[in-house]
Amino acid sequence: MTRRFGDTELPEDIERMLRRAMRLEWLSIAFLVTAVTTVYLVMGSSQAMQAAWAEDLLSFIPPIAFLVAVRVTRIRPSRRHPYGHHRSVGIGHLASALALLTMGAFLVWDSTTGLLSQDHPPVGLVVVLGHEIWAGWLMVAAMIYTGIPPVLLGRAKMPLARALHDRVLYADADMNKADWMTALGSIVGVLGIGAGVWWADSAAALFISASILRDGVRNLRVASGALMDERAQTYDGQDPHPLQHRIEAVVCEHLWVDRAAVRVRDQGHVFHVEVFVVPARGAEVGVPALAAVREAVTRLDWKVQDVVVTAVEELLDALVEKEHGSAQEHDPSR
Amino acid sequence: MSVRVRAASSAACVALVGVLSVGLSACAFPYDPEHTLEKVRSDALRVGVSENPPWTAWPDGAPVPGEESEPSGVEIDLLTGFAQTLDADVVWVAGSETDLMAQLDEGELDVVVAGLESTTAWSSHAAITTSYAATRDDAGAEIRHVMATRAGENDFLVALETYLLDQEVAP
Repeated sequence: MTRRFGDTELPEDIERMLRRAMRLEWLSIAFLVTAVTTVYLVMGSSQAMQAAWAEDLLSFIPPIAFLVAVRVTRIRPSRRHPYGHHRSVGIGHLASALALLTMGAFLVWDSTTGLLSQDHPPVGLVVVLGHEIWAGWLMVAAMIYTGIPPVLLGRAKMPLARALHDRVLYADADMNKADWMTALGSIVGVLGIGAGVWWADSAAALFISASILRDGVRNLRVASGALMDERAQTYDGQDPHPLQHRIEAVVCEHLWVDRAAVRVRDQGHVFHVEVFVVPARGAEVGVPALAAVREAVTRLDWKVQDVVVTAVEELLDALVEKEHGSAQEHDPSR
Repeated sequence: MSVRVRAASSAACVALVGVLSVGLSACAFPYDPEHTLEKVRSDALRVGVSENPPWTAWPDGAPVPGEESEPSGVEIDLLTGFAQTLDADVVWVAGSETDLMAQLDEGELDVVVAGLESTTAWSSHAAITTSYAATRDDAGAEIRHVMATRAGENDFLVALETYLLDQEVAP
């Protein structure tokens, strides 16, 4: 089956990466099912283990959001949805961010009260296959199991997120890569309980919760920025996307162009591009000239889609001052 | 970001090594934050008893302060045996379940027996042991019987659980 992002047929290598990303996300979900079950069975009354379990549960959201978004963005634009369905990526991202934020806030509160009320977590014996064993060792084993695969998955997903320009995949990979800290935090908490340091558990839980909360805040910022039609950024939301400059450069190569500015809207995987051109004095601007610019821009990258080229007398101030990176652009008025 | 991750990871490693060395330098893992097991060995096992036959009972009536009275019951026998393995005397304290649990939380008692079941609501205030016996109620549902120890005293909890799991209890 050919993968598409709306009307955009994907280049073969990108399509291969998309398939690989989907396989990795299914693999993540399969792993998470085993991880959530394992941790649930051994977590007992350790707050750190409970926080780690909550994080594992939350880790289901990004892979599911990604898989749903990939399916939805494939739908072609129609009269009803003239921009296509790319924004589903943004919705998935926002949903993940909110889940992280809410759960992180709850867990920070929970572990703080645990610390303040001096909860002493009891961890006793369990009988496994006829052997009596301190439950803490099982927790440590479970955390080693849940700590390692996500890091490998995250490392595999990261380059795909960059190539596909998928922020949900990026957020997922980023969280996966940091998962070992959660595992190690829980192990320290559990061993702390064993060493008679009662506060180690709550402190480890607080550390894990804070990292969940931080993920939530960061993702919320990037996701809402994208939904607010912020200037197109790189997949990690850190820098302006390089395509913007490349588009401007290509447009300015045309002889009839005096000055030009572009407004690039990140739809999720693909960009919608509006090119504003001030023609050189005395130049005759006809449909073929505009179409040539449009074609040159479209050829630049598979991500460029829905290019609109329009001739104007003056460029919008916000676009000219784009070097200052204003996040509050004017309402797009068509 | 990566600097922060590295800083956090090295901090975590230091913490892990520290905890590990504390844990492994002595063999008694897990430890008691309040040294309950040590105190029981050198002093006495302080048991709160709330009447709930056949598990716990005061055959001569619960003692008032200054009076001596010996409890009886399945759980009393178990704890008497447990105290013997530790070479410890037993001090039996009578009271209502609520009072005894409060004393347990304060560290005035080491263990509370009251014919508790594994579904007990006290699990947020005390460390509930693994079940040492199971019975069936009138509807045929399984009831698992447990004791309560002071929360967080895991060395003591493990010692008691080890003893309880070794016993064949047929109520």
